[in-house]
Formats: sequence, structure tokens, C-alpha cells
Amino acid sequence: MIKIKKSDFSTFITNLQKNYSVFAPVTDGKATAFKKIKSAEDINNKVLNTKRSPKEIFFPQSEVLFQYTEEGIKVPKREEKPFAIWGMRNCDTKSLLLLDKVFGEAHQMPKKDMYKDPYWKEKYDNCLVFNLACNKPLSTCFCNWFDGGPFNNTGSDIFVIENDENYIFEAVSDKGKKFLKEFKTAEQVSDKEIKKIEKLKETAESYLAEKEDISSLFSKTKEIWDETIWDEIAAKCINCGACAFVCPTCHCFDVSDEGKGKKGKRIRLWDSCMFAIFTKEASGHNPRSQSLQRVRQRVMHKYNYFMDNYDEHLCTGCGRCVVVCPVNLDIREVIKKIIRY
Amino acid sequence: MIQNLRTEVKKLLKDKKVDIVLGWGKGSLPLSSTPVFIQKEEDADRLIFDETCRNNLTTYLTKDKRKLGKTYDKIGIIVKGCDARSIVLYAVEKQINKENVVIIGVPCNGILEKKKVLQKTENKEILESKIDGKNVHLKGRDFDLTIPLKDVLCDSCLTCRYPDAPVHDIFIGKPRKKVDIKDEFKNVIDFEKKSSQERWEYIKEEYSKCIRCYACRNVCPACYCNECFVDQNDPQWIGKTPEVTDSIIFHLIRNLHVAGRCVDCGACVSACPVDLDLRIMNKKVEKEIKERFDYTAGLDVNEKPAMASYCENEKQDFIMG
Repeated sequence: MIKIKKSDFSTFITNLQKNYSVFAPVTDGKATAFKKIKSAEDINNKVLNTKRSPKEIFFPQSEVLFQYTEEGIKVPKREEKPFAIWGMRNCDTKSLLLLDKVFGEAHQMPKKDMYKDPYWKEKYDNCLVFNLACNKPLSTCFCNWFDGGPFNNTGSDIFVIENDENYIFEAVSDKGKKFLKEFKTAEQVSDKEIKKIEKLKETAESYLAEKEDISSLFSKTKEIWDETIWDEIAAKCINCGACAFVCPTCHCFDVSDEGKGKKGKRIRLWDSCMFAIFTKEASGHNPRSQSLQRVRQRVMHKYNYFMDNYDEHLCTGCGRCVVVCPVNLDIREVIKKIIRY
Repeated sequence: MIQNLRTEVKKLLKDKKVDIVLGWGKGSLPLSSTPVFIQKEEDADRLIFDETCRNNLTTYLTKDKRKLGKTYDKIGIIVKGCDARSIVLYAVEKQINKENVVIIGVPCNGILEKKKVLQKTENKEILESKIDGKNVHLKGRDFDLTIPLKDVLCDSCLTCRYPDAPVHDIFIGKPRKKVDIKDEFKNVIDFEKKSSQERWEYIKEEYSKCIRCYACRNVCPACYCNECFVDQNDPQWIGKTPEVTDSIIFHLIRNLHVAGRCVDCGACVSACPVDLDLRIMNKKVEKEIKERFDYTAGLDVNEKPAMASYCENEKQDFIMG
């Protein structure tokens, strides 16, 4: 483990910017989101969960796949420098692993040579992820239900702990090890400071609400597909896409062609299973025309279908949907209801 | 008040006057409430009514292809003044049969805007809260704060002229009667004073934050189309990207679609996950309708909708130039 003084943070970021396009939580007006920064001053290290999740760095809400003219097809140029993302929390770094199962490696799928999404891969393979420990988790955080935690580091390259004076760095991946090896200006962390980290971790964990044992969630979801529990769960949902659009793991998309005359572009856009049009077929038939069917789909995708395919729940317990839902449809209560059904 | 409300709801259910009652229950977060659907007498004890009862529940009467209306013959619904006006809107527009709805009015002293509260706490998380009629007491991990309630009420509530349900079957508690609001359109008048460039910049900046989640549309009682224009894709009317050029068309068309229909309940403002100023344009349209047609939406079930009726003495300067 090595450390830099907080007073050197700005220099650290400036140096990082020499080789990377740096993204970090930026508060712009009322909302905080991960944005490409100009300097360290833009960074808000205090915010726990950004309003919009960092998935948009890799999987933007709207992404031009290619443009076409009479001359042919052109794929837009990508960023030249690799990405470095500062200040991601464990719930978000973990979500990258989940999304990579879909877009990137397709680890668990039967066919290893399945389609890999080049737009995702180009960005994901060329990024360096700094996971900042959460010293003071929110009351809406439930990462501990999904084996995450304020001091966990799954899905990151470098784990960063903030104490009163310093940022302490620990390499997680090979990429992270390589980066820290070349990082000569940093000091080594003393044993005393390492002991203090344990204390920080304990305090952080004490802030989390009681852990729910979700080991039966998967098997329960298998049994309840046509039960009345869904009436109860879905009754108040108004079918907006707020939950899906702030979710770090929701990844459904729509492809739209915008053309005029002899030129145009094909765009990939976020979509949500909450919308009625999501499943509307060309014939006009809609297999999920009812709100209940759509709510069930979202819950089942998170806690059953994804588990079936990849052995993981498609949820990291970040709590963003809990905060933004206009009708307070709290996903933690949904999970509890399913488990106790 | 709350005991009377619960007793009344129990009575309605017991006497089979209604099959279901829509109301508010305690939410899972501080300063939050959540819609509850009461079918059993004993569940009526879950009902609450206070400054956190944000949702305009009438949206459920038309939501999901009017499922509630198809499932239940008689629906009871607890309403604030603005919510009751939405029911009037539905009756005027022939979306519901008012005979099938039992309107239960409750006295509203204004609803709390959580976004304003979070500005006061500088976005620090609220862990405990108490509202005592005049003040909101908040507790977080490292702060204790008391703020006057009026500083954190919804903008709509601060200019609300109809806090009591103008139409109701039952009223619980003491109505506030008419309140004296002198500057209902102050925000619009101030906005109108800006140059067109400044206004355009403001609207552009606000709407560029939109993530097209449609929470505003889906909580809106006036937005009940079976298929919204943004969802039509054959032909596709507007682009689906969150680019400002697309988002602005969505919002401006929605502003016009709710012209003479919006009751300024503020549900869209509170629902927006990215805190857009969704009110200014709706209020501007409301002011136009008021000035041109002397019409206020949601007050009289026998009135014809402003946009679907014609009077000879209407201002026609838009034609005459």
C-alpha cells in the first residue's frame, strides 16, 4: 500500500491526465454525475452515490454506432487516450463486472466465442478504475445484501481509502499493480496506518442497515411467477423509467435510425422494460401490455434470469432506485416480500 | 383528523360503498409517503395524511389502461385540492364516470418538496425527520437542523388557491376555505421580463438535463393517452435521444398537451429524478389560458374544456395580428 497527501491530490490528477482521459464525480448545478474533468477542482469526493450511475461512461444513453452517406459507412472516432475513472464506489465497480458479462466476455455462457460488443469493449478494456472506499455509507445503501461492502474492491483496478490526511492506494488488478509500480512519488503506508484502516472499515460497516439474507431469493423467484404477489408489488408502479435509467446494471437498449435524404446515423439508446413500447411488436400485439408484467420482468431479470445465465444477481445494492422512485416503490421491500412469501 | 379519516374509510368499505380506497401510507424513507390501496377494513390503519403526501393519486384512475376502473366498480380516493381538480378534469374530459368514484377530501396545508429540503441540508442525507405544523426538524449523521415549513413547501403549494377539494363527496377535517394568493404567476411574470435569448438559454439548459425517463409524464394526471406521441414510432414524431433538441420537443409538446388541463399539482416537479424546472412552462401556459379564456382547469365538472370550446368574445389577436 502506498499513499499520497491530500494536498497533493491536484498534482496526482494532473499527472494522471497526461496519459488518461479522467472521469470523476462532478456536481453540476443540482445533480452529480461522472463526467470528464478539466482539473482536480471539478471533482466532488464527498458525494457517495452520483445521481446518474457511471455506466454511462461505457454505455452512454445515446451512442452513435455509425453514420452513413452515399460513400459508405463511418464509425465515429473514439477517445484516443484510455479512460481513468476516479471515485467509483464498490456498488458501481461491481456493476461493471456484471455489464461486462453481457457486453464483453460472456464468461458463463455456453459459447465462449459469443458476440462481444466492440463499443463496450474498447472503452472497458482501456480503462483504469479507482474504487474509493465509502467511509460513511447512506441509509439507502444495501450493497452488503449482495456481498459488496463499503470497503470491498471487486471490479476495480486500484482501491483508494481516504483518511484525514491521505489517500491510500492498494492495487487490485494486474493493471492496477502496474500503475502503482510506476508511481514513484508516493510514500509507503505504515503499519499503524493500516491498523487504522480496519477501524474506518468497521465504522463504515456499522452505518449500513442490517444485512438481509438473500440466499433464498433465486429459488423463491422461480416459484412465484404466476402468484398474486405481483399484484401487490406492482400496484403502485407508474411505469416510468427512472429506476432503470439511474441503475448501474440495467442495460437494455433500443436501436434507432435517424436518416434524412441520403445520409443518417444509427444510434443505440437506453431503453427500459418499464415502458409499454419496449415489447410492442410490429403487429401491434404487446406481450407485456400490463404494468404488472413489466414490473415482474424487471424484478425477475435482476434476481432470477440473470442468475440463471451468469450466476449473479443483476443488482449491487447501490440504492439509487430507492431514492428516485416517484412512488417510493422500494426495491428492498420487494426483495423482502419475495423472500417471505 | 387521521383517526376520522381511517374510521370513514373503514365505514365506506364496511358498507360496501367502495371496493377499494386509494390513499397514502408511510414511506420507507424519511419525509416520504407511498401510495396504498386499501381493500380490507383493518388495512385502513395504514393511512396517513401529512405534508409528505406528495403523490397525486388520481393518476391511478387512468393509468395502465384504466385497470382500476375495470377491476373495481366503486373506487374511493383521498384527495388534496389539486388532486380533486384532476378528478374534475377526468369528469370534464369523460375519462371517468364520477358516480363510480367517492372523493374524500382532506385539508391540505401544503406539501413538502424534498428537493428543497436537500438543498437546505446541502445534500447531506436525512436520517430522521419530524414535522410539527410550522417547522421541519431534521437529523443527519453530523447535523441537526430546524427549518420553517414554508421554506420547503412545493412551489405549487406556495401559490395554491384551492387547498380544499373543490369537488368532494366527503370532507374530513376543517377546510382551509379560500386562501389569499396575490402573485400566483409571479415566477412567470419574472420570466417574461427576461430577453428572449435569456429565456431560450434557461429552457435549453433545463431541458438538456432530461434523461427521458418519462417520470413527469407518468405521474401526471393529465397525461393519460393510451399511446403517448413520444412512443409512436410509425411514423416516429420525435427522436429518442437525450439530446436537448429531442428533449425540448418532448417537453414543449407536453406543455401544450396539458394546456388548460394542468392543475399545477406539482407531481412532475417532485418526480423528476434530475430536478428539472418543469413548472415554469406549464405555469406560463396556464397564465395564457387564464388571460385569453378566463379559464382555470379542474374547478367545475359542468364546464367545457378550454381547448375544446369556443366563445365569440374570445381574444383573437393571434389571428388579427
